[in-house]
Amino acid sequence: MVVRPGAIRRLVDDMGLALAVVVVVSPAILVFLWMLSLSMKTELENSAFPPVFVPAQFSLENFAAVIKGANFGKYLWNSLVVSGASTLAALILGVPAGYGIARARANGLAAFILVSRVTPGMSYLIPMFILFRYLDLIGTLAPMIIIHMVITLPIVVWVMIGFFETLPVDLEEAATIDGCNTWQNFWHIALPLSRPGITVATILGFIFSWNNFVFGIVLTNRETRTLPVAVYNSMSFEQISWGPLAASALIVTLPVLVLTIVAQKEIVHGLTAGGLKGG
Amino acid sequence: MATKRPHLPGLSRRTLLGSTLATAAAASLPGRDAAAQGAFDWKRFKGEKIEVTLQKSPFHDVLQKAEAEFTEMTGIQIASEQIPEQQYRQKLAIEFASGKPSFDACYVAMATQKRMFGKGKWLADLRPLIADASMTSPDFDYGDFAKAAIEAGVQSDGRMDTLPITNHYNILMLNKELLQKKGVAVPTTFAALAEAAAKLNDPAAGVSGFVGRGLKNANTPLWTGFMLGMGVDAVTADGKFNTDGPEAVAAAELYRKLVKDCGPPGVAGFNWYECQANFMQGRAALWIDTATVGAPVADPKKSRVADKAGFAVMPAGPKAHRGPVFASGVGIAAVTKKVGPAWYWVQWASGKQIQTRQVVGGHGASGRVSPYEAARKAQTPEAPAEWLDAVIASTKIAYPVLPDIVAANEFRDVFGIALTNMLADGDPATELKKATEAFKPIYERTEKS
Amino acid sequence: MPGTGRAIASPRAGFGAHPAGPAATAARRGPGLPRRTRYWFFILPTLLAILAIILFPWVFTVWMSLHEWAPGSPPAYVGGRNFMELFTSRRFYQSIGTTIYFTLLSVVLPLAFGVFAAVVFHRRFPLRGLLRGIFILPMMATPVALALVWTMMFHPQLGVLNYLLSLVGIPPQLWVFAPATVVPSLAMVETWHWTPLVALIVLGGLAALPVEPYEAALTDGATRWQTFRYITLPLVLPFIVVAAIIRTIDAMKTFETIFVITQGGPGVSSETVSIHLYLQAFSFHNIGYASALVIVFFALIVALSLFLLFLRQKVKWS
Repeated sequence: MVVRPGAIRRLVDDMGLALAVVVVVSPAILVFLWMLSLSMKTELENSAFPPVFVPAQFSLENFAAVIKGANFGKYLWNSLVVSGASTLAALILGVPAGYGIARARANGLAAFILVSRVTPGMSYLIPMFILFRYLDLIGTLAPMIIIHMVITLPIVVWVMIGFFETLPVDLEEAATIDGCNTWQNFWHIALPLSRPGITVATILGFIFSWNNFVFGIVLTNRETRTLPVAVYNSMSFEQISWGPLAASALIVTLPVLVLTIVAQKEIVHGLTAGGLKGG
Repeated sequence: MATKRPHLPGLSRRTLLGSTLATAAAASLPGRDAAAQGAFDWKRFKGEKIEVTLQKSPFHDVLQKAEAEFTEMTGIQIASEQIPEQQYRQKLAIEFASGKPSFDACYVAMATQKRMFGKGKWLADLRPLIADASMTSPDFDYGDFAKAAIEAGVQSDGRMDTLPITNHYNILMLNKELLQKKGVAVPTTFAALAEAAAKLNDPAAGVSGFVGRGLKNANTPLWTGFMLGMGVDAVTADGKFNTDGPEAVAAAELYRKLVKDCGPPGVAGFNWYECQANFMQGRAALWIDTATVGAPVADPKKSRVADKAGFAVMPAGPKAHRGPVFASGVGIAAVTKKVGPAWYWVQWASGKQIQTRQVVGGHGASGRVSPYEAARKAQTPEAPAEWLDAVIASTKIAYPVLPDIVAANEFRDVFGIALTNMLADGDPATELKKATEAFKPIYERTEKS
Repeated sequence: MPGTGRAIASPRAGFGAHPAGPAATAARRGPGLPRRTRYWFFILPTLLAILAIILFPWVFTVWMSLHEWAPGSPPAYVGGRNFMELFTSRRFYQSIGTTIYFTLLSVVLPLAFGVFAAVVFHRRFPLRGLLRGIFILPMMATPVALALVWTMMFHPQLGVLNYLLSLVGIPPQLWVFAPATVVPSLAMVETWHWTPLVALIVLGGLAALPVEPYEAALTDGATRWQTFRYITLPLVLPFIVVAAIIRTIDAMKTFETIFVITQGGPGVSSETVSIHLYLQAFSFHNIGYASALVIVFFALIVALSLFLLFLRQKVKWS
């Protein structure tokens, strides 16, 4: 039997690709599997050396302990409300702003929006605490929702600028000739077409807000704590319990992981191929 | 003690109501001047609700679990939370600095924050409350507190900011099996400690003779603890610096000998939990840290050396034998309108019953004396006899491990860096000189106001 | 500074193929108001919101930078003393050096791996969607939670990383527990987190590539490497620069990962400006000094971003 040189080349090529895929994906897989392993083992197994990779007995006890633990449901709710509301507010403000900046080519303004992102997060903490304490809002979720807009608003505006720039303007031009004003152009033409962009802006805004830790340290209290802060707080003082820690870390990350896997196509397209064209 | 009747804001009508209801109960209490202003009544603030904020600690788990009992006894609702050490300190400072803390009572790490709290007058003076028979339960037994523990909560102007709840003593944890194998006796002096660590050090077998904090800031108390044994305070009350003197250098040399020469690789980044992990795995023979984080090594559910773990009091130095202690306590926010119920919580948390539970359960060391006797009798696995003995011995020679200065945390940081440098190539005398020079201006700036 | 904002906002801005040109002409042709003013209505709410959020913190920070304030005592005016102290502090300069070192590694490594990953994912293969989803997980994972897990993996005696190394015969490393290796180890965590972001941006560049040069290369018999080096890389370079800018800003500000894993240690060997700022503000309570630090730090980040944008302009024209 004669093997054509093209086939060999192809085989080598495919194997190379497979190897490359493994290399690229394995760091993510290994770390998350190790977390999963930690979360299902006993404390003795978790501190063993050489490490135990597959638990002798799979146990969900650590997860149960975290979920039953103090106020877990409440912290989950807080995180959902804070990230949800700050993302929603950012969309309401940021989608038109993205459109405006893209169409007006207002580069200076786009740069200004950067300021809130470039400012170190920590510098907000003390003044914001004093301000919200004065307004008597500490103990509500309002301070967190407001401060999280520092994260969500720039993301939404940037993604939307990029998106609207790729939208062909022919339709809007035609509409303008037909007597539509700028707002109508946006509302009836650009907005309906921008759904993929809005999807990715929502997902990214939500995820980055969800993961924020620094603001929550100071601006929350027992009632308003968000999940990442609660996880950090679950480190005990007399001993670090890795099992429950890994379990709570997984639980915190789980919603965003699921969201990422489910919406990976939208995220990738929204971030990369410029929406419409790449779809 | 103040004898004047205290002015307690926010009490008026309820106080009157409470005192009439309390007369019946008061009649049965012997030896108290019940008639003077109404006897003590746990139910006096029934229906109130207070906010309590605590630092993460095993004892505070106990406190939180017992809240239902407190509510049943007093009718006061408690909303409490625990926050890890670092965030806790910063949050506490910001909350108080804002002038409107969101809680009524709180835990304060007096070892590092005492002077800042004193300067801000952030906490209510507890003396008048203790003196008031209508406010303080007759079985509170103020005399049961160790004098040193009480003093940790008293400011220089005499105000009593806090009552002690947990004191963290540095003790020596040891792996008996490893000691036996090498025929090493439990060290009782600094010299013996250094010798034992060197003998036990066996890098080939993956065992270090000693393990202790190398991470800057966390490591400073180990060094100041050694300095106490050399007979000096790091900084004296009248502002004299001993941090680059011969005693300080000797203490640093001991630190270096133990942690660098007999410690595991990477120890410069070790905080207590890395130390604990190594010790629990049988990879370290000796370990000095607080009794609170030492207790779990005797727990077979968590530790592989549970049956070999031993405890001893801090070895004696050439000049003195001290039990280095980080004091902490609970106090009442000065601006709260709920001084009454908050004080009830404070006296309950620092009271005999709960304090005994702390020691018996091996959750930490009490500022009271009686819980230790109770724990000796109870003989629980959580508080092994040796651990208890080491803690009790420490209470008798208790001495604050950190100097009483405003910039206590910056002190830990600056000298912590010097100590970490010594774990690389730094020379103790030079590093300490440099650190002292760096810290003096900070000290002068923070003390002057 | 024309061009700057959008240059960061959109990788596509530099790409001639896109309709920025027609948009401009359309606006010019439109009736009534000039282009800029017709769109203020869209932008104003966002502008006001951002101003409302950052105005007070900035006023507070600037005011406080001229004062000495430790909680417990009232603030006292000290003029420029905080800045003087800052500029004479060895530890501050040291933290800048550490920040630059950390930033350099945390930009270059994700860029290298990210470009590689993008090239891989640009090809078609079975299960690509799912694998791509898994690949971008690290960038979505909560940094604090992951940092705690990394801390344990790094342990020199008991950590899983040293165990894995021992399987292939490499002696145990000290990772974050030694001054020499702490910054690269932290940069490794950062690289793990942010390689996907770089890959996604570059993937966007790859998707927008024209097909013709590749067909020509194919007929010329170019190797895969040659095609990448001489066709792909120059074409996606603007996207790589955008990724570099985003990465630089984020790496300089990195706080959670370092704070949780080393708190700046051993000694001060991983004390970046962010960590230094945290210590001054929240551990030592030198609020005035910390405020001065915020201002200088901010200026540094802006300066560096501008420099990179300048670089981007050059890349665009060449």
